[in-house]
Amino acid sequence: MTLLPWRRKLHEDAPVASSFEDLALPLLPALYNLAFWLARNAHDAEDLVQETFLKALRGFSGFEEGTNFKAWIFRILRNTYLTSRSGLAALRTVALEDELGEQGESGQVIYREGAIERQTPELNLMRLGDRAAIQDAMEKLPPPLLEVVLLCDVEEMKYKEIATILEIPIGTVMSRIARARGLLRRELQANSMFSRDFRA
Amino acid sequence: MTDHLSLTTLNALVDGELSAGQLAVAKEHLDACNACTSSALAQSLLKTAMAKSGQRYHAPPELTDRMKRLLSEQEIPGHRHAVSSGVRLSGWAAAAIILVLFGGWMFLGRHALRSNTASTENAALMTEVCDLHIATLAANMPPQVLSSDRHTVKPWFQGKLPFSFNLPENLPDETKLEGANLTYVHDRPVAQLLYSVGRHRVSVFLQEKTGESGTSDFLTHQSGFQIAGFSTRELEIVAVSDVDSARLAGLMDMIRRVQVS
Repeated sequence: MTLLPWRRKLHEDAPVASSFEDLALPLLPALYNLAFWLARNAHDAEDLVQETFLKALRGFSGFEEGTNFKAWIFRILRNTYLTSRSGLAALRTVALEDELGEQGESGQVIYREGAIERQTPELNLMRLGDRAAIQDAMEKLPPPLLEVVLLCDVEEMKYKEIATILEIPIGTVMSRIARARGLLRRELQANSMFSRDFRA
Repeated sequence: MTDHLSLTTLNALVDGELSAGQLAVAKEHLDACNACTSSALAQSLLKTAMAKSGQRYHAPPELTDRMKRLLSEQEIPGHRHAVSSGVRLSGWAAAAIILVLFGGWMFLGRHALRSNTASTENAALMTEVCDLHIATLAANMPPQVLSSDRHTVKPWFQGKLPFSFNLPENLPDETKLEGANLTYVHDRPVAQLLYSVGRHRVSVFLQEKTGESGTSDFLTHQSGFQIAGFSTRELEIVAVSDVDSARLAGLMDMIRRVQVS
């Protein structure tokens, strides 16, 4: 098992080339965006970011220079969220792995192979860049699926980085991404059909 | 065409996660398969739409300012201020007295600041272990290592923690080892041992002792939980539970006895 990529250095007083501020402040917008998505309100998101900064600052002497600071601080944010009120509520309501019944770890059953058509209504929504519809669909994702697609698509992180942040195997990252995108497509399709029926 | 690309492969393709070999195979298939090409385009479109729509919330400028202020305030204690070494002692008694008084005041001030920092950090530690214990109960998930056998639980941590510890063979009445988790407290790796005492659950956190820390024995309460702790030469050990303090102390005593002192 590979772990502790930022394992605490024995020499805690070793000189640190980059200051915490230089590394952390540019990530504040991204941290806040993820925090808001997870916490679903501005007040909790601000608290999450502030606590993340404090924790990260306290543990910065243990951060190994040259390793992935972004993954490190996102992991702190995510762990802080998990022990927050909203995170605990999410944990209570979602038993994600139990819901994987309709597909295996490889995530292949949501859509049949090659069954995605070029002119499906949800594709039209995506093409039109209907942000509101897509954001509505994202809001309906369970937190463990939402966080994985946010890290992958918004933060453009590699599967390996996501696995490190979420403390899950890469295979689980892949299956969650497949499941999240499948649910999004389904939700967009339902949304699109509803809009069409409503207009008619 | 029967062997279409799997959804996982399509996702890995649009996420740029395929190796060169896998990419070559996928491209070859896409050249000959309209359905998979269409699917790949759809996944790519979804990814782009997600990337745009996902960037939804913008940090308010006040938060940025607050974080900047907070960082500068937090970093002040770490800075080494130059001591006024240039001050020369004069023969004037009054000046000497003032210096002594000033020095004493500075010492007391710094001592108080250090004590305050230590108590703040201690309170943060209590909150964090409490949160972790609650999160473990709320998750209602089996432990990462599910065993009542100490010879299974202890070796499970090999290579996962930069330290080792011992587990007691004999436990108080109605107390049972349920398993353990690898977790993090203040971003340091920690062993979370899970015990049950009757119907109560106990989390015992073991972490490597840091140079400056030195937790003496304590028993306190937070959010209705009992929190007990002690340290050995190399470890800091904190337990959290809603069990009564006597039974928690009994368990901690057993754990203490088997640690290498």
